[in-house]
Amino acid sequence: MSGQTPGAIPGARFMDPVVLARIGNLELVSRAVCDGFINGLHKAPYFGASVDFAEHRGYVPGDDIRRMDWRVWARTDRYYIKEYEAETNMNFSVLLDVSKSMDFGSRGITKFDYARILTACLTNLVHHQRDRVGFVAFDSEVVAHVPPSAKHMDTVLHTLDRLKPGRPGGRMRGPLHKLAEHFGRRGVLVVISDFYEDPEEIVDAVTPLRFRGNDLIVFHVMDPAELEFGFTDAQAFEDLESGEQMPVVPDAMRKEYVSLVKAHTDALQQKFSEVRVDYTLLDTSKPLDHALHRYLSSREKKLRVR
Amino acid sequence: MGVLTPLFFVALAGLAIPVLIHLIQREKKQIMRFPSLMFVQRVPYKSIQRRRIHNWLLLLVRMAAIALIVAAFARPFFNSGAIDTPTGTGAREVVVVLDQSYSITYGDGWERARAAAYDTINGLGPDDHGSIVLFASGAEIALRSAASGERQRLTAAVAAAKPTAGATRYAPALKVAGSILAESTLPRREVVLISDFQRGGWRGEEGTRLPAGTTVTPIAIGGGDDLANVAVTGISLVRSTFSGQDRVAVTAVVVNRSMRSLNGGQLGLEMDGRPVQSQPITVEANSSTSITFEPVTVAGNFLRGTVRAGSDALAADNEFHFVVTPAQAVRVVVIDRTGGGPSVLYLTRALAIGDAPRFETTLRQPGAVTDDDLARASVIVVNDVEVTAALARRLQGFVERGGGLFVAFGPRATWASDAGDGGVLPATAQAPVDRSRGDAARIGTLEYTHPVFEPFRAPRSGDFAAARIYGYRTVMPADGAQVLARFDGGAPALLERRVGEGRILLWASTLDLGWNDFALKPVYLPFVHRTMRHLAGYSEPAPWLTVGQVLDASFGVTAGQPATGTVLTPSGRRVSLDDEGAEVLELGEQGFYEMRGRVADSVTGVVASNVDTAESDLTPIDPKEIVAAATGGPDAAREANASAAPLTPEAQEQSQRLWWYLLCLGIVLLGADTLISNRLSKT
Repeated sequence: MSGQTPGAIPGARFMDPVVLARIGNLELVSRAVCDGFINGLHKAPYFGASVDFAEHRGYVPGDDIRRMDWRVWARTDRYYIKEYEAETNMNFSVLLDVSKSMDFGSRGITKFDYARILTACLTNLVHHQRDRVGFVAFDSEVVAHVPPSAKHMDTVLHTLDRLKPGRPGGRMRGPLHKLAEHFGRRGVLVVISDFYEDPEEIVDAVTPLRFRGNDLIVFHVMDPAELEFGFTDAQAFEDLESGEQMPVVPDAMRKEYVSLVKAHTDALQQKFSEVRVDYTLLDTSKPLDHALHRYLSSREKKLRVR
Repeated sequence: MGVLTPLFFVALAGLAIPVLIHLIQREKKQIMRFPSLMFVQRVPYKSIQRRRIHNWLLLLVRMAAIALIVAAFARPFFNSGAIDTPTGTGAREVVVVLDQSYSITYGDGWERARAAAYDTINGLGPDDHGSIVLFASGAEIALRSAASGERQRLTAAVAAAKPTAGATRYAPALKVAGSILAESTLPRREVVLISDFQRGGWRGEEGTRLPAGTTVTPIAIGGGDDLANVAVTGISLVRSTFSGQDRVAVTAVVVNRSMRSLNGGQLGLEMDGRPVQSQPITVEANSSTSITFEPVTVAGNFLRGTVRAGSDALAADNEFHFVVTPAQAVRVVVIDRTGGGPSVLYLTRALAIGDAPRFETTLRQPGAVTDDDLARASVIVVNDVEVTAALARRLQGFVERGGGLFVAFGPRATWASDAGDGGVLPATAQAPVDRSRGDAARIGTLEYTHPVFEPFRAPRSGDFAAARIYGYRTVMPADGAQVLARFDGGAPALLERRVGEGRILLWASTLDLGWNDFALKPVYLPFVHRTMRHLAGYSEPAPWLTVGQVLDASFGVTAGQPATGTVLTPSGRRVSLDDEGAEVLELGEQGFYEMRGRVADSVTGVVASNVDTAESDLTPIDPKEIVAAATGGPDAAREANASAAPLTPEAQEQSQRLWWYLLCLGIVLLGADTLISNRLSKT
């Protein structure tokens, strides 16, 4: 499943993120990705969950007599109500980190663009499943907020289109805790960030989003240069957020750096799994299908709601 | 090998430039913007590695290029071998010049100095010759040009040497060493100068140049700065009279020349070898203090005093000797017409004042002068009286025996002589001059070089012209008389004549207010005192002398005592002085020298001898300064070179051509640097 080579299946499946970034129109991009992705799954996204039978239960006064199973009454002379798998329209919100550190890309696409396309795709996917979509952009504060609604697809895409990472990130705890109080209704929350904080603080900041029964998916977006540290020349490195500079000899410190990043992602993986949060590390050089798969599997679990 | 312009080597600091370039040039590259340095900062800091030299070859090429170009500008040249000859191979004439001044005893300096001398002697080769020169203020040859086989004699000469009380003087020692070397026929000449190299011992003497090609090896015997060193550098004596007895108060100056302060020490005063007083002393580091003892009665002649300040690393300067004797009064007989009237009031009052010396005045009328008066008196003042021929003869005899005579020629004065003239007087008195009408006469010119007027030489030191002279006697100077002062009209006012052993002064006016108001002027008192001292031949005996000064037979001997005999040195040695006084004795020891008469072996005089306190200042001089002066330094080398073999311009250029090659090599290396750096920048 190489992201570098487009697949042979018609459509835009596994399209290179760099190519997607050049398209510019998020709606078009998301539609192309989702259609291709869904076609590839061979599974219609709109199977009516309401036609799935679940069980019978005895009639109690007040039940709608239209849901009574007359065939069972005919055979047993008892009133039974036919129950189906519940069809719920979820709230779906993406919480996107738009801090300055996201504005970095070494392979033609920045982490922010990647995250933006991912957000658009997920939103498109969810919208097609008739769920309510919402969107929050944050850095050290909440930058933009689109409340979840079935009609907000265009608003979300429009907001995404306008966003530019400009301010330093700071700690996530402030904006995320504020948002945790805001999401009152159960739903799916997706947090997309590069998580440049201590794992304990990240988990501490993100976990409250689950408190009201929300299903939480965390996408950790990293550029390959951040993961592999493939620089060769000794030069001064400038922190995008703080502006601090320091001389760096990449050859001398690559090993330690990679091991530190690995330890960081491993720690995030472990701590998020401890609090039952789905954590996925995304490499911006890879296609988006991995992220979409992760979402759909999560969505599948959520459908089992009575 | 040498360089013409060594200052250019300062430019070698430029070698740091390529190093800095290699270390910092990569920091000028583009800055990499990175999302977060969170992990980068956690990596142990490796910037030191970042500053490592990446290309050693390039760096070395650049540094070599700069060094070569700098060396080329410094103009190196090859020395010719001419001046190296004396220091080449061959037998040596080695002169060991050993300092034996008392400062070498500071700490264990003397032992180390001798050890250095032994080392030098042991280092002599089989064909070498060695000499030992010992020096302090003077120099002596302990052993001249002994062959190396006589090493035991050289060692014995050093072993027999002892530190003296003298001060350090390098010039005599170098001259002696130079004379030894000048007589030597050996090809190599060397002087080993072992000393503590005090700055006070070197005055930049000229004429201490050693023979050309001589090598001077200084061996500095430095003492530790932390050792205590207190010196009594001088005393002052203040005389007073109490109950008819002379007393003297001693004030001593104590100098602490060490780096630490002296607390709790005692300064003792000994008189005739007995401790009489003691005072606590506290002196800060490198400072001085003065301490005054209570007055001590001077009981008899030649009272020997010593001020002693404990003992320390340099003991010789801790004691200071002096000799005091009761002040000798100057006996003055005043022959006056009245024997004590107003005419001598001012004179006797003036003589009654003064302690140094004290004047004992006796008034006599012309007819009452006895032989005893003449025998006891030092000075006789004839104050405007008629001197009979008999008295004139007696006075002449008095003067011829060494006495002093002052004659005031007022209106009544006459001097009867057998020849009918002024006799022995400096002048013949003639008619008086009356200047009471009109302007009074003034004293116009003075002979300031004369001892009487010498104190008035400086401006505002006494105005003799303030005195108004209303009358004086014109006088005709005699042969051999010297006019010491003249009136404004040019007439002599004061004349002097030596007669026999004594002197006669003639004042052509009065000493009272009869003819002038001189007695009312401020200069009258010092004039009278100076005149009496001069006529009496009075001089204060020096309480002490310094080692190195010369003692003749008459020094310190009281009048009337036989002036010849033997001298007993502080170490107990007897030295005979010639009757003629031609032989003198140089003070070489610290302590008291006793002068004894030949007949009864009685003490006729005592002289205190002290070390030169300048020697206790141990501030060192750079031995190179002495070496340069003795050998002539680089100039002498150049002169020797020039005199040995004058170089042709071609040869001179040849010897300095090295810079050309260095410059070419430097330029080639710069070219190589360009090639290497271009190649590196492409990769």
